[in-house]
Amino acid sequence: MTATAEPFVHPALFYRGEQEYLAGTVPFVRAGLESGEPVAVAVPGENLRLIRDALGADADAVRLLDMREAGRTPGRIIPGVLRAFADAQPAGRRVRIIGEPVWAGRTPAEYPACAQHEALINAAFQGREVTILCPYDAVRLDERALADAHATHPVVIPSGTAGQHRSAAYAPEHVVARYNEPLSPAAPDALTFSFAAPTLSQARHVATAEGERLGLSGRPLEDLALATAELTTNSVVHGGGSGELRVWAEDGHVVCEVRDGGRLDDPLAGRRPVPRDQRGGRGLLLVNLVADLVRIHTGQDGTTVRAWFPR
Amino acid sequence: MGESDRRGSAPRVAAVPEATPARLTVSPLPRRAGLRAAGEVDLVTRATWTRALEHAVDEGEDVFHLELAALTFVDVAGAGVLAETVRRLPPGRRIVLHQPPSALSRILQMFWPGLPGIEVSPS
Repeated sequence: MTATAEPFVHPALFYRGEQEYLAGTVPFVRAGLESGEPVAVAVPGENLRLIRDALGADADAVRLLDMREAGRTPGRIIPGVLRAFADAQPAGRRVRIIGEPVWAGRTPAEYPACAQHEALINAAFQGREVTILCPYDAVRLDERALADAHATHPVVIPSGTAGQHRSAAYAPEHVVARYNEPLSPAAPDALTFSFAAPTLSQARHVATAEGERLGLSGRPLEDLALATAELTTNSVVHGGGSGELRVWAEDGHVVCEVRDGGRLDDPLAGRRPVPRDQRGGRGLLLVNLVADLVRIHTGQDGTTVRAWFPR
Repeated sequence: MGESDRRGSAPRVAAVPEATPARLTVSPLPRRAGLRAAGEVDLVTRATWTRALEHAVDEGEDVFHLELAALTFVDVAGAGVLAETVRRLPPGRRIVLHQPPSALSRILQMFWPGLPGIEVSPS
């Protein structure tokens, strides 16, 4: 980490067991507190408890977040967790964050969004005086997740060591591209509705009626209406003027998918906090903030956005 | 993605006999400065919503009331128009939202927390 021009520091910490976890994280937190740096820890609840207990009274000076809640949708982590914390700190002081977005229980549907998120952190924080340390469970994560961590982090700290070195496999753009993969087929009984500007309102009503029929109620149903409105409006405004909406049930979720002929060229779309005086540009961000999971596939043939809501 | 899954997935098509865009009606309040809005705020009705809210700035009263009990939907851009209207109010003036749809309150909290000049009234 000597003589690097890039102020953003983004190491992956590979750990085996509790002792290595604490040895890799607690001194990182304490060093930040001793330098008067703002520190946040966003990791799964059980690991959060380990760090909090090890910090003792010092934990009060740290912003602690359960990543299973705050970062359930990987697309929400940059705007809603990392930048929400970093941007709120006074300028001129390095910000330290421990962020653990990848854990063994991530589902096959979630994982590609996790890997893309880890890759996109580099672009989102380029040039910032920020350090984000990402722990990876080398015992319970599969080979693919551990290999991807070497491609999404410029620096790695191997298990059982304190030293960090550059990752030869670092290639975040490749990870973003590789996981921009076609989504699994929609359910055969998915309800389909073709929409354009004059039928935006119906698209929303079709989605909410179907969502309700499939067991959604209360806030998730309201979220489905909001997400459907934003995604279909994006298709009308940016995606060629029309699109197709699909709604179906998948285990404990109702899934809403919007497909259009446009192409999404900005990989950070929906992942930037929007200044309050900016007009527009919040649609995809809102979907990231309210859905349990958001997956996107974009290419020459169009763009598909899929969002999951708990029922 | 494409054709294979497109072919495999569309036995249930939600048909609409005739396109009926979202509707929004706005009327002045009889006894105080303000408006009553009914219907939906989305891309199609946004211009009507924006014009209606301009009255809130033009109106000289300290408090401008928006009765929103019959508003069934507001998208993020519609909430943004409201936030921008509030920001343009001269100091000391405010907008009171009466019975706004819960999604509107949530969106304001998400993107414009603590915005001065806006109040929510449950009645």
